[in-house]
Amino acid sequence: MNWLSKQIRKEEWSPYVAGILLGIVGILTVILAHALLGASGGFENIAAYIGKAISPTNTYFNYVMPAAITYPVVLLVGVFFGGMLGALSSRTFKFHTMDDEQWKQAYGKQTWKRWLLLFLGGIVVEYASGIAGGCTSGLAISGGMLLVPAAFLFIAGMFASGIITALIVYGKKY
Amino acid sequence: MNFVIALILGLGFGFALNKAGLTKYHKIVNQFRLTDMSVLKFMMTALVVTMIGLYPLRAMGLITFPTVPATYIVGNLAGGLIFGVGMAAAGF
Repeated sequence: MNWLSKQIRKEEWSPYVAGILLGIVGILTVILAHALLGASGGFENIAAYIGKAISPTNTYFNYVMPAAITYPVVLLVGVFFGGMLGALSSRTFKFHTMDDEQWKQAYGKQTWKRWLLLFLGGIVVEYASGIAGGCTSGLAISGGMLLVPAAFLFIAGMFASGIITALIVYGKKY
Repeated sequence: MNFVIALILGLGFGFALNKAGLTKYHKIVNQFRLTDMSVLKFMMTALVVTMIGLYPLRAMGLITFPTVPATYIVGNLAGGLIFGVGMAAAGF
């Protein structure tokens, strides 16, 4: 018991151990909810409230991604508090401005730049999820575990452009 | 759909992500620099565990799989290509 609580308080687990936990969550998702672990869909459901206000008869926001509190929206709330619980358990919970030492070395010290890039990156990622039909969690992990070809196409594309982007950003320091 | 179940599943998902350290910029970008393989180790372990759990259950006829994301090569690949840019630049 002592050993277990000590492990839970650790800030970082081996990725294999954390992966096993996610795997168990994945099994439970299919059995209990009969759904996938999608994250990007929830954002689209929330954004649909704005989309519908601008264009009330839009097919996408009425039928494809309707404005409603759906299962992925609740899942997102859970992910937020789950991450918070993780930080609380290791006593690393604090409010900070998303700073990261390595980021500062690559882009510069200004916090506003980090926030701007996060916002723009968020738009790019969400847009791409809309095209592909899911994100890292909903398509790559959830699709991958059910051996959907779409998931592996997505992972291939993600790594190809991700590596190129990192090469451009880091240049000689890659 | 039971929202209590969704909330609990989300809690588990967020907890696992936090403990794997994938809430940090350097973990994500270093995967693309191929200096830190945490993202792949995490993802692939989850895939294997889930497969081991789910496929026998389906073979025994106890569960059915939910609707899976559609495969359309251009869309999945193009989406992935755009996704990687945002992921490597912002770090999530």
